[in-house]
Amino acid sequence: MSKPYGFFIALIILFLFFSPPALFATEADSTHVAETEDHHFDYFLNSEKRGERLFKGLSRIKTDVTSCVSCHNIDYIDTLNWNPSATAISKTFADKSIAEFKAVLMSPLGKKMEESHVGYTYSDEELGYIKVYLFQLKEDTIYTTKPKINNILVFVFLGMLITMALIDLLFTKKIKYKLIPILIFVFAFGYQINMLADGAMALGRKQNYQPAQPIKFSHKVHATDNKIDCRYCHTTVDESKSAGIPHVNLCMNCHVIVREGTHSGKFEINKIHAAIENNTSVEWIRIHQLPDHVFFSHAQHANVGKRECQECHGVVEEMHVIKQVEDLSMGWCLDCHDKTAVDFQANGYYSNGFKKLHEELATGVRDSVRVTDIGGRECARCHY
Amino acid sequence: MKKHWKSIAERENGSDTPEKQSLPKGNLEQILDIFDNGNEKSQSNRRDFLKLCGYSLAISTVLASCENSVQKAIPYLIKPEEITPGKANYYASSYVNGSEYCSILIKTREGRPIKIEGNDLSSVTYGGTSARVQASILGLYDTGRYKNPLKGDTQISWDELDQSIIQQLNQLKESKESAVLLTPTIYSPSTEAVIDTFLKSYPNVKWVQYDNRSASALIKANEMCFGKAGICDYRFDYADVIVSFDADFLGNWLMPVEHIRQYTKKRKLSDGNTNMSRHIQFESRMSLTGSNADYRIPVKPSGQAMLIAQLYNEILKIKGLDSYSVSDATEDIQELAKELWTNKGKSLVVAGENDVNIQILINAINYELENYGTTLRIDKQILTRQAIDSDMEQLLSDMNSGTVKALFSYGVNPVYDYFKGEDFGKAIEKLPFSVSLDLAPSETSAYFKYVAPDNHFIESWNDLEPKTSRYSLMQPGIRPLFDTRQFQSTLLAWTAKETDYLKYIKNYWEEKLYPLRTAYPNFISFWNNSLQQGIFEPKTKSFFNTKFKMAGIGELIDNIANAPKSSGFELQVYESSAMGDGKMANNPWIQELPDPLTKVCWDNYLTVSPKQAEEMLLETGDVVELNSGMKLPVYILPGQAYNTVAVALGYGRTDCGVVGKNVGVNVSKLSQFKNDCRVDFSIGVEISKTEEKYELAMTQTHHSMEGRAIVREASLGEYLKDPSAGNNSHQKYENAGIYKKPNFPNHHWGLVVDLNSCVGCGACSIACQAENNVPVVGKKEVIRVHEMSWIRIDRYFSGNEFNPDVSYQPVMCQHCDNAPCENVCPVAATTHSSEGLNQMAYNRCIGTRYCGNNCPYKVRRFNWFDYTKADSIPNNLHDIAEMTIDLKRMVLNPDVTVRAKGVIEKCSMCVQRIQEGKLNAKIDGRKLKDGEIKTACQQACPAGAIIFGDLNDKDSQIVKETSSKRNYHLLEEIHTLPSVSYLTKIRNKKTNES
Repeated sequence: MSKPYGFFIALIILFLFFSPPALFATEADSTHVAETEDHHFDYFLNSEKRGERLFKGLSRIKTDVTSCVSCHNIDYIDTLNWNPSATAISKTFADKSIAEFKAVLMSPLGKKMEESHVGYTYSDEELGYIKVYLFQLKEDTIYTTKPKINNILVFVFLGMLITMALIDLLFTKKIKYKLIPILIFVFAFGYQINMLADGAMALGRKQNYQPAQPIKFSHKVHATDNKIDCRYCHTTVDESKSAGIPHVNLCMNCHVIVREGTHSGKFEINKIHAAIENNTSVEWIRIHQLPDHVFFSHAQHANVGKRECQECHGVVEEMHVIKQVEDLSMGWCLDCHDKTAVDFQANGYYSNGFKKLHEELATGVRDSVRVTDIGGRECARCHY
Repeated sequence: MKKHWKSIAERENGSDTPEKQSLPKGNLEQILDIFDNGNEKSQSNRRDFLKLCGYSLAISTVLASCENSVQKAIPYLIKPEEITPGKANYYASSYVNGSEYCSILIKTREGRPIKIEGNDLSSVTYGGTSARVQASILGLYDTGRYKNPLKGDTQISWDELDQSIIQQLNQLKESKESAVLLTPTIYSPSTEAVIDTFLKSYPNVKWVQYDNRSASALIKANEMCFGKAGICDYRFDYADVIVSFDADFLGNWLMPVEHIRQYTKKRKLSDGNTNMSRHIQFESRMSLTGSNADYRIPVKPSGQAMLIAQLYNEILKIKGLDSYSVSDATEDIQELAKELWTNKGKSLVVAGENDVNIQILINAINYELENYGTTLRIDKQILTRQAIDSDMEQLLSDMNSGTVKALFSYGVNPVYDYFKGEDFGKAIEKLPFSVSLDLAPSETSAYFKYVAPDNHFIESWNDLEPKTSRYSLMQPGIRPLFDTRQFQSTLLAWTAKETDYLKYIKNYWEEKLYPLRTAYPNFISFWNNSLQQGIFEPKTKSFFNTKFKMAGIGELIDNIANAPKSSGFELQVYESSAMGDGKMANNPWIQELPDPLTKVCWDNYLTVSPKQAEEMLLETGDVVELNSGMKLPVYILPGQAYNTVAVALGYGRTDCGVVGKNVGVNVSKLSQFKNDCRVDFSIGVEISKTEEKYELAMTQTHHSMEGRAIVREASLGEYLKDPSAGNNSHQKYENAGIYKKPNFPNHHWGLVVDLNSCVGCGACSIACQAENNVPVVGKKEVIRVHEMSWIRIDRYFSGNEFNPDVSYQPVMCQHCDNAPCENVCPVAATTHSSEGLNQMAYNRCIGTRYCGNNCPYKVRRFNWFDYTKADSIPNNLHDIAEMTIDLKRMVLNPDVTVRAKGVIEKCSMCVQRIQEGKLNAKIDGRKLKDGEIKTACQQACPAGAIIFGDLNDKDSQIVKETSSKRNYHLLEEIHTLPSVSYLTKIRNKKTNES
């Protein structure tokens, strides 16, 4: 009897071993681990530790002042914090002097900071400690996934169910009706395969992807609050395949005057100025991305097809942090091609051919021409 | 029907396949072969298989666990005004490689050059390009280039270099010791001015021009006959009869791009033209030009002078002038003389041999035929070759004697391509001071003490005058990639003046060329317009005296008549039409472009006539030894004159980068020096067979279409009687199908290839490769029939194997409307579009290769490996040409998918260009114009042999061509209904039998 058991256990282990871990990681979940090991005997000598205590408000707490950490998060958080995170501060002030650090902290200039930075009295020495502490913080791990435990548990549980069903079916035969273990086997195995397939399909897709960006740029503030048109920044959407991520100099059109934001104060906008001054680029995290073998043209869709940006990108003007709303899969593309009517009679390009479609439109056999009708499902429209 | 054959084996056996071929290997065996590293004996075994299995398991596990990596989107900090991400910019510029010139457009995407197109505003090249022009874009990203100035082997800064060189130059000047600036022919007016200022500041420096394939004899002959050195402008498009003695004017003689355009223009039969030129070629090896001739007469190189003398004599006889005493001409020559005389003023006689006597006689013949002023234009000269061979001999002896103390060398490689290369190298090594101003390391630059690296031409400013008053500008498509400085700026820096060469050109143009303008109110608009168009072509005339000096001809003919007759082998060296002089040897596209005639790539070889091979029991691939000790593989080439052998220059580079290193054998030293000129043939050569065998990579016998009417041809006489001559079966098959022909609602894209215009040069192949990211596979893979070219040029011989007729046929995917490949694909990866395109979805393909098997045209290519780093699996890579490194991948077209291992690919009819053209029309809300979309092959073709268009557009050029009686489809009897069609080849012969 022991031989078959061993075999099955080996089978399960093998199955678990080779099943793609990505399967268990369906939801964006990020971690930042700040290692805090206690070394008691050099505690009072370690400026890093002192800095940490100051930053977290664990020492020298005045009751009327809030600690740094209550506004400037150290760990990654998945909610939006308009205040700069500890690591962002560390990055900005890495090569600035203590005096500058002090000036910004203790005598703030912007409206937002003036409200919050009240009554801080740190000595130069203490500020030095804080800086040392901030400096050792690791950079934000912007988007890391960790396997979601639930999926693994479900998968293992189903595996065990399958095993037991098989054992019972073949050896123990405790269940009277053979159909029951067979059904359990079929459903459990089917569900596992379904999980695998879902996991595999999600591999190249990024629906609901919403990473933290290097600058806390809010489309809501720009498009809704300030009523800026999409095309003001995404200038090439009508003429090129790429809509164009605004070049930094374009931001300066407004931000040469607008130096302080409603939510984020000066910190985020200063990054644009820093980029221009230091000649460094802003490295946004790319969200909407099609595979290399897909050719997509914004000009075709936004200009010729007169599609609204929101149809593919979601209600961007309501987003503080940009997010991929659709899954951008081929099925999703084709669904739209099947449904969407072409500007058939107005655009002179179509006037030449398509005799039959023109006739049908004229005689009222059809009310509109959809993208599919003029070859919108053909491979070489997008893949070449 | 003539019997066409592709190789001698096929002619004899009726089939291409050698009988003793081993069984074809299966997929797995072929894959496992890779682990053998060419070692045939180590058989792959079960262990390798298990290793492979284990590996693939590991790979799939790793892949499955791959997370989406975080991708960055980095916008411009300050966007350049002219750049729109996702849209290409074109900059008019010029291609220059020694004496090769072409007016071009550089296509750039987001600031990086990715493709070269012809500039159709130029009245020199008319939008045509050559294979090397197309391939030169890859040279920009060559890893072998110099990346910074060098002193010996150590890197130094430009300041240090300038300082020490100026110091040395001043020392030389003070001690009055002579130095030499060695360049190829400079036909840039501004560069000449720069050199002049350089020479004025250092009067001890002498300027020597060196062309490895000079037109020295031609220049001298013109000087002797007309009192002015230079090369006439040849107009092949005005000539009704063209007689060429070994001048490969479609291949490498003078200005091939222009000559192909002129030649084919005259021979086109569209638009009701029936006046085709007749072309007679005398030559020993089968050249590209000879293969296109209506009559080709194989003669020994040494026998040409006599024939030319006889022809001259016959013409004199016809004219009733005093003739000379030469041996009697054969009937052929007499007839030829008559024909030339009846076409006087509309004929053209040219000779390629670098022999002053021959060139004088040719001048005399053309003069007697009254061709000067018509087919030989005297008001314009070709300026791309000005070097005189004897200057180089003088320089070598001066260097050896120690009178020359310093050498500055730019753009030449005499150690490799001069016939006394080794001596030259030793002489340079002895010089106390030497500077190389080259782009990339070469056999020559290795000897230099300093290196002041030049920019690539795509990174440079320049102006050019390839022909009198045909000016063109060169503008950069990108900033210099490395710490290099262009030659002209370097010279300017050493004369301690303004180093900005652009300013220098502008000043020069304002001073010299602006006064020649006909429009433009000020210099700025003149300059901007010229720069935008790339050319400036004012109407100026510079006459030189056409008074022919006759004295000395008698003596010359006596010399020829009394010359000792040679017997035995004669060996000729030549530039192959793909490789040229070897400057581009490190370019894998050029290396993998098969020779038009032999279809061999990645090698040079000795071509031998079939009769000779029979006598000496030689087979293609046998290695023979020359009496000079050189060992070469043999290729049996039908049409090669008996008792002659020929071998291509440009191979056997030892110092050029990884790709071209030690590919083939360097045969430059087989040239000789006679009568102050380089001579390309040598007599008294002996060859002996060795036991060795050598495998040549041939694309020739791979795609045989046996015994069917693939190339259809007729003679001009037949064609005039019946326009459908040679194409009679077309009617029969045209409407033979039992199914209805499909209907295309809007566009129906098609291509027409005029076989009468195609000369087989191969520019289309390289253009396609550049446009469509077609990979390079390397010699070993070509031998295994894995070459990837989307458009190949099939070459068929017909008739007599000692002097066959040759036909070229470009074959790309035929985009059949009833495609055999589409219905065998199990995953529907290849389907038909409503615009008549045979679509290929790479991401859908699983690599069964059923489609490739079922394609009657064999145009589908399978990616046996990942040649261009399309995915991240290291073991899939197969990279012999460094095409996987980031620098070289810059050349890839971002609008075309880079194919990964395991998928089929094929000609898409440049669907990316079709989509772009359609989109532009839709944005403007207008109909698509005929000719608005051009495929890459069409754009590159110097002959205009390929026409793309919409078969549904009744007014289009393509419909005009397809409704011609000459139009037919490839293998139309199998009713695949191709969208690609061909026009019959018409030869200007009396009959089509031979």
